[in-house]
Amino acid sequence: MKDGPGIRTSVFLKGCPLRCAWCHNPESQAAEIQRAVTTGEVCGRVMSVDAVMGEVLRDAVFYRTSGGGVTFTGGEPMLQFDFLKTLCAAARAAGVHVAVDTSGYAPWERFAELLPLVDLFLYDLKCMDPARHAELTGVPNELILGNLRRLDAAGAKFWIRCPLVPGLNDSDSDLAALRAFTSALRNMEKLEICPYHPLGLEKCATFGLIPRYAEKALPTSADLARWRQALPC
Amino acid sequence: MSYAEQMARLTARKIEQTRVKQDRLGARDEDDYGLVLPPESFKADLPVRDATGQFSGPRAWAANFRWLMEHHPLYIDPDDALAGRWMFMLSRMRLGYQLSRSNFAFDYSHLEPLQKKYDITTGIGKDAHFAPDYQIGLDLGWGGLLEKVRAARLKFGGRAEARPSPAGEPGRVAACCDRAEDAAYAIELMDAEEQAILGVQAWTRRLGEAAADRTMTEEDPVRRANLAEMARICLKLVDQPPETLREVVQWIAIFNMASRTYNRDGAGGQLDELLRPYYERDLAAGRITDEDAEFYCFCLLLNDPHYYQIGGPAADGTDQTSRMSYIILEAANKLKSSCNLTIRVWDGMDRALYRRGVEILLANRLGFPRFSGDKALVEGFMKNGYSAELARRRIAVGCNWMSLPGLEYTLNDVVKINIAKVFEVAFAESDSWEELESNYRKHFAAAVKVTAEGIDFHLDHQYLNEPELMLNLLSHGPIEKGKDVSHGGAMYYNMAIDGAGLAVVADSFGAIEQRVVDEKSLSFAEVKDAVASNFEGEAGARVRKLMDSAGRYGAGGTRADAWAVKLTEILNGEIAGHTTPHGFKLIPGWFTWADTIRFGKTVGATPNGRKAGEPISHGANPLPGFRRDGALTAMATAIASVQPGYGNTAPWQLEVDIGLADDEGAVDKLMALMDGHFALGGTLVNINVVDAEKILAAHKDPSKFPDLVVRVTGFTAYFNSLSPAFRQLVVKRLIREAV
Repeated sequence: MKDGPGIRTSVFLKGCPLRCAWCHNPESQAAEIQRAVTTGEVCGRVMSVDAVMGEVLRDAVFYRTSGGGVTFTGGEPMLQFDFLKTLCAAARAAGVHVAVDTSGYAPWERFAELLPLVDLFLYDLKCMDPARHAELTGVPNELILGNLRRLDAAGAKFWIRCPLVPGLNDSDSDLAALRAFTSALRNMEKLEICPYHPLGLEKCATFGLIPRYAEKALPTSADLARWRQALPC
Repeated sequence: MSYAEQMARLTARKIEQTRVKQDRLGARDEDDYGLVLPPESFKADLPVRDATGQFSGPRAWAANFRWLMEHHPLYIDPDDALAGRWMFMLSRMRLGYQLSRSNFAFDYSHLEPLQKKYDITTGIGKDAHFAPDYQIGLDLGWGGLLEKVRAARLKFGGRAEARPSPAGEPGRVAACCDRAEDAAYAIELMDAEEQAILGVQAWTRRLGEAAADRTMTEEDPVRRANLAEMARICLKLVDQPPETLREVVQWIAIFNMASRTYNRDGAGGQLDELLRPYYERDLAAGRITDEDAEFYCFCLLLNDPHYYQIGGPAADGTDQTSRMSYIILEAANKLKSSCNLTIRVWDGMDRALYRRGVEILLANRLGFPRFSGDKALVEGFMKNGYSAELARRRIAVGCNWMSLPGLEYTLNDVVKINIAKVFEVAFAESDSWEELESNYRKHFAAAVKVTAEGIDFHLDHQYLNEPELMLNLLSHGPIEKGKDVSHGGAMYYNMAIDGAGLAVVADSFGAIEQRVVDEKSLSFAEVKDAVASNFEGEAGARVRKLMDSAGRYGAGGTRADAWAVKLTEILNGEIAGHTTPHGFKLIPGWFTWADTIRFGKTVGATPNGRKAGEPISHGANPLPGFRRDGALTAMATAIASVQPGYGNTAPWQLEVDIGLADDEGAVDKLMALMDGHFALGGTLVNINVVDAEKILAAHKDPSKFPDLVVRVTGFTAYFNSLSPAFRQLVVKRLIREAV
């Protein structure tokens, strides 16, 4: 119920081109269906568009009463682009508000195709410094920033979401660069801070993955206050 | 001295009284009730008992009640706007009293074999559980009620005045079957009503005198003035009707306490509308401020957690939210104690009242207010052949239940069929999946039949066993007709039958269908063997693992979800639109009250993986763990899908750890969640917003959290008053999901 406005159903599409050091959904990085090494629990299932929409529409009344809808997230949903596009069209046809939660790391053409089908993009900005971005996420940020500028120019509605991790991407200069970049965007509706959460550590253990950032503590209230002061949220 | 300080002191005393109660009475899985313990030296030496310690019939009840009121210890708190606390339940002072089975002076052993077979809570001998119309009492006062009773007795051929001394007799068990006997009973009932009123008047007078006495020793001038006003009001209310807001709340409190003392009655009324005219008059005359009004309401709510509704439509369909509604809600907000206030949610309402209620629920985390869904309740009740005007007047004034104040007799919340037990009988008799449904239907029909016969038996005899001497006074009909409300005195009879154990049975049917029929991973015989052995041994454990992990009711789209809907159709098929053999209307609901543990003890293992003796599911709720993600909306949808839909409720009981209660959107989202539930047909939402860490810590050591109040079911209670087993259930129900 936190991915976008109102009460929402989040549909997680597996597979992600990024490998963020702090990833809190490490089970969604691989596109394949996985089995937890500790519990044997299966993560992921093959679903048809109809099956997904059946689940999504079960909560249709709550979307109406809350101004909510469906959020396609991941992983990086753009990786399963054709499926995503069909889902967006089906949700749109059913009158359901559509949000796509993306890292921005996908060819612009895909965003262009989705524009008429999506009500809101939830767009991650993780670090403005290109080298540092590559270091923290495994990919450069030029494509991400370029896509965001083009979305803005195209008049798309979007919220910026900044996952902030103490000591990794929250220096004063990081925050200043984020502020400078986002203040130039004309159509940004909102900027949300997503404070680091150690939830991913437990999941890494479950799936036999080794976390790159293994801090167990939550950010302090001082961190949160500093971030809120530095960013236009 | 400010009201805030007075409220703080009153609340602290209430917490201390609760601690003392727990120390002396032990754990009780019940409402807090507002009851205060009598001094240990007090001996309740009731004048009328038979050789077995029982008493029955109007005269015996009246004599004992009058004695109790005349000797009732007096409680005066100089900080309180109201005099008195109640300390006894006469109905529980009969020897051998059990909450689950009432004392009853008539033999119904011919019904008992089937009642036991299906673990039916019969309602036979149960009292109260319908609502009074306070307006009758507020208009007449005790003096006017006494005159009314005496005039009625004269009309029935009795005397004009009371006998000089009340005489009781242990029991009157002759059947009342012809007109002469009807008249004799009417006179006897009026005699008894007279005695009851005289008892209440005596107590009220003594309260007034005690308050006056306290003024002699009270040194604080503000408290002294308060005590003097308390004394004046009580002495006035002995005979006269109340005229000011403070007098009205004192009158209501006196009635509530007396009615509690008589038989635990806890139904309130549409409190905002009851108080509004007095508040408006006082305000216009410059007698009070809103702050005064709020303090009086605070004291009324503190006095006793009776069930009140605020907001909602008037009979003519206009919104009855008023300034008074907000004053009551803000008084409840300041009451950091047990409270059972319900906001009626409807399309034409003042949404600000609703929003404020949700804000208070989130901020205080004390399980109130509750929210009732007008649309489904009104439309549902109309299906029984009643008008929209009447349906709107049927309000939320009980744990799970609705009532027409002063007009209706219902046995709400005290007649239940444990469908897990019905299922157990059907399952034991079935050798194949194909037989199971028809066997369940057959046994459920038999269970309803014997339940309805039990209701008739109660309606035939209760007036001779335990007449409703207090609630008769505030009902339209009993005094006028000379008939007890349980026996022809009421205007309408809508007898409730609730099913209990829905999720256990839906999950059992669903798991068998999924694993045995669809997937063929188990045979019916394997499931039967495993259930019969209580899932013992390796084979049993394997079966249990499979059955326990099948799709649950509440997950959405599972076999069990479909079964829950079908079980509701079966419930309705036998109850809705049906009558008892004697022609009294029946209304279905799903509700277990706090009986999940007791019901569970009678049922062996069930195919959903539940082991023998474990608690059954709560009301219409899915079993804990029904779904991991999206549990809130799934639960809201599932519970809406199993609403019987005839004007009684199937409440949604939600324990949610809202770590993000401070989130700016939490109020909106919780309102949207409830709006969606009500749009889908939901009838009543009871929410505990809890701090998971706190409740887990309190479960370990309740004494560290003496002020932690939780909504157990329809009622709230101090967490440390609950038994460890019941606390465990509350903890297990917790959903950790952000709103």
